[in-house]
Amino acid sequence: MPNFKLDDREVPFEPGETIIRAAQKAGIDIPHYCWHAGLSVAANCRMCLVEIMPPPGRPAMLLDVLAWDKAKQEYLPQKKPKLVPSCQQAAAEGMVVKSQTSEHVDTARAAVQELLLLNHPVDCPICDQAGECRLQDYWLEHSGTKKRMRDEPIHKPKAVVFGPTIVYDAERCIVCTRCVRVSEELAKDPVLSVRERGNLNEIVVAPGRQLDHPYTLMTEYVCPVGALTSIDFRFKARVWFLRSTRSVCTGCATGCNSFSDFDPRNQKVYRYRPRENLAVNKFWMCDDGMLDHRRIHEGRVLEARVSGAGAAVPTALAKAAEILGTANADTTAVVLSAEHSNEDNYALLSLAKAMGFAGVYQSGRPAGQGDDILRHPDKNPNTAGIAALGKVSGLKSFVELVEAIRAGKAQTVIALGSATPTGSGAAALADVKNLIAISTHEGAFPEHAKVVLPASSWAEADGTFVNAKGMSQESEKVITPQGASKPAFRLIADLAALAGKPLAWKKLVELRAVMAPAAPRSVAPESASLGAE
Amino acid sequence: MEPLDQELDEAELEMPTEPMLLNVGPAHPAMHGTVRCVMELSGEIIEHVDVQVGYLHRGFEKMCERGTWTQVFPYVDRCNYVSPMLNNVGFALACEKMLGVTVPERCQWYRMILGELARMSDHLTCDGAMAMELGAFTPFLWMIKAREMIWDLLEEETGARLTHSFGRVGGMASPPTENLKDNARAVTKHILSVVDEVEKLLLGNRIFLDRLESVGIISQADAISLGWTGPCLRATGVAYDVRKASPYLKYGEVDFDVPVGTTGDCFDRFMVRLAEMRQSARIIEQACQRMADSGPVNVTDPRIILPPKDEVYSTIEGTIQHFKIVMEGLKLPAGEVYSYSEGGNGELGFYLVSDGSGTPYRVRIRPPCFLITAGLERVITGAMMADVVPSFGSLNMIGGECDR
Repeated sequence: MPNFKLDDREVPFEPGETIIRAAQKAGIDIPHYCWHAGLSVAANCRMCLVEIMPPPGRPAMLLDVLAWDKAKQEYLPQKKPKLVPSCQQAAAEGMVVKSQTSEHVDTARAAVQELLLLNHPVDCPICDQAGECRLQDYWLEHSGTKKRMRDEPIHKPKAVVFGPTIVYDAERCIVCTRCVRVSEELAKDPVLSVRERGNLNEIVVAPGRQLDHPYTLMTEYVCPVGALTSIDFRFKARVWFLRSTRSVCTGCATGCNSFSDFDPRNQKVYRYRPRENLAVNKFWMCDDGMLDHRRIHEGRVLEARVSGAGAAVPTALAKAAEILGTANADTTAVVLSAEHSNEDNYALLSLAKAMGFAGVYQSGRPAGQGDDILRHPDKNPNTAGIAALGKVSGLKSFVELVEAIRAGKAQTVIALGSATPTGSGAAALADVKNLIAISTHEGAFPEHAKVVLPASSWAEADGTFVNAKGMSQESEKVITPQGASKPAFRLIADLAALAGKPLAWKKLVELRAVMAPAAPRSVAPESASLGAE
Repeated sequence: MEPLDQELDEAELEMPTEPMLLNVGPAHPAMHGTVRCVMELSGEIIEHVDVQVGYLHRGFEKMCERGTWTQVFPYVDRCNYVSPMLNNVGFALACEKMLGVTVPERCQWYRMILGELARMSDHLTCDGAMAMELGAFTPFLWMIKAREMIWDLLEEETGARLTHSFGRVGGMASPPTENLKDNARAVTKHILSVVDEVEKLLLGNRIFLDRLESVGIISQADAISLGWTGPCLRATGVAYDVRKASPYLKYGEVDFDVPVGTTGDCFDRFMVRLAEMRQSARIIEQACQRMADSGPVNVTDPRIILPPKDEVYSTIEGTIQHFKIVMEGLKLPAGEVYSYSEGGNGELGFYLVSDGSGTPYRVRIRPPCFLITAGLERVITGAMMADVVPSFGSLNMIGGECDR
């Protein structure tokens, strides 16, 4: 790989790569606002300016400038090198680039920073971006000068509602056009643009439109300042109280890599952020996925129920064990769930095997809209996972389960999950004599169940999910289980023990070891995520 | 009437050979703060003593690791709580050494004035309490009254009498008041007169002298090998004072002497402290003369110091600066530093380790008291029980600093 020299380090690059991208891959952060690895180059913020030394034997490209001479107290003509935006300049073999070691670069960055803050409102205390704001970081790192402008700053519209998800503050905006480019290049819906010039410019939505494409939250995500804020997250939490866990979005079969940001004090998940993975979601997530964190706390089954009345989990487990113990194995069906992780499903499959239950079916959430960007029509995170797990036992569809119920072949059903793929099937569940549901959320299964066991959601347990491309990805536990809920695999293990057929594992690692042959892991290549974007 | 022991042999009148175990402390009025001495007594002679510290351990050093560097100041306040200003300045100096910055001259003089006042408060307390424990209540009252004047002054400067939390990395929490110099001069004048009066009152008192002289002796070699510093070391004749040995702030530019003793007994320790108050007064006078009445007190680097409040409320630059310093803390470069200054009881050292973040990785405080208290065993072994009071008092063990 060819190299160029950045300050005192040799940095490798692939031909055609820009200086800033090559530096980022090498772990060197050249300050920038408008550049984003996943977007086209705009080179309008001028923060990433670097000095490129002339090739040996060639004169430097110099500009004539007037510089203030402190000793003589007047402006004197001087020469200074022409600086180059490193986001636009392709790296070349043997190139010598100065970023932190050039005083011209320092001066230029300080000037850019001062200019960007010229009309910036004093909003940090009420701004959601505070704590992860580039303006704050770079001011301290690269500028540090006090306000010199005595004039009243330019005032522009504040709290402009751009659409159902985004609010815009023109005063905070530095017009880096990242949001414009996200709409155009990622969402293929060029609904945002810039109007006016100079210090009057601002981002506007196309006349007659709203910012309402399926990737609006990515505009907020790429915004390096607090100009675009998400209505979902606005004023909900301060970012320095939040901690992050590496999770996988369970909103659809794409399995976008994400960070779950939660407050450890109240064990609440406040938002998702995309986690860079070039093989799965690149840098992005869709709105449905970004807002899916709400389901962690909404519509949950948080206590056990027996015949519709609240019960303690041990009581419900005992009742479920009694039902399973007296059930006829031939008319007992097991329903795996594409909503749940491999671990949960494998545990249920093991129980079915131990008890000799014949019918193994599947369920999950109904299909929805998809597109060719990220969104998958299958709204379950683990359809491919249960297909692989259930291959041996002959996994049957939910429609076949409905037929079996109608034919009286499934009088006892033990089901993982909450939702059913079709509306018609939900009614059939009412005919099941003994339905045991291990559910995270309210839905058709817990509604018709004789015994409901509260399962922890994906955010409350470690789990493995296999996406539509067959990539197996681990999602980490974010918060502690809510209410009386427990991870489903643990509930199933308890149930098996009560039914007199204890399973072969006790801990998650043991479960994973046993599961390994049934669910071969083809882990998605995970690119180094910077997380700072 | 016949004496009761008429029948007994001479031999039976000997002291019983069984030693007596006596627990003094941890909550005993003579055990300044909370320290426990388990003494093995033969009659009134202390044959062995086991000095146990740690009853006031509050885990300060560990607590320092969860806030910002600035949030360490309240903890060091509560180390030697009789002279918290010296701790504040000592910690600030350590952080500044790591950052490689020096505070403006005006601040250096200011720190010296406040620091020497704190030293006087420390010595007044120690000598006053020593006299009181030996029955002389009047000098104690006079000295504590003088200390009150210092605390009033410090209250006017810092807003707090005892735990000021007034030091800042790169300066002080606020600039000196207009009255500082007048007040400082008035206070030192009064203190010097109190010192004179106390001398007159005590140094002609036979009981006082007999209880101090040749009591609680420690040799120079022992004191050095135990790591003693400060007045207790100087009482043995070693002229080691951090202010002279490795001058910091402006101590290299002022004229003062280092008083030393000769025998290293309780009397020498008492007298060294009295003499040091006079030297502190000299330093304060020189500092008052040389400190500018206006000019910057804090460094200007926005990465280190908080901006003025009017800037915070009216400009975005000020808001950002405030936000970064308060929420993330000022960042000390990754590495370690040992910085030391002359505290009330001797060399007060701070060993800091930074990982480059805004939170201390490790703050280790070298408290002069801890090492001095370690020598208490040697000082009182073989002495009479009654000698424990002046010996322990003259070491000036401060629980907060010793146990942290």
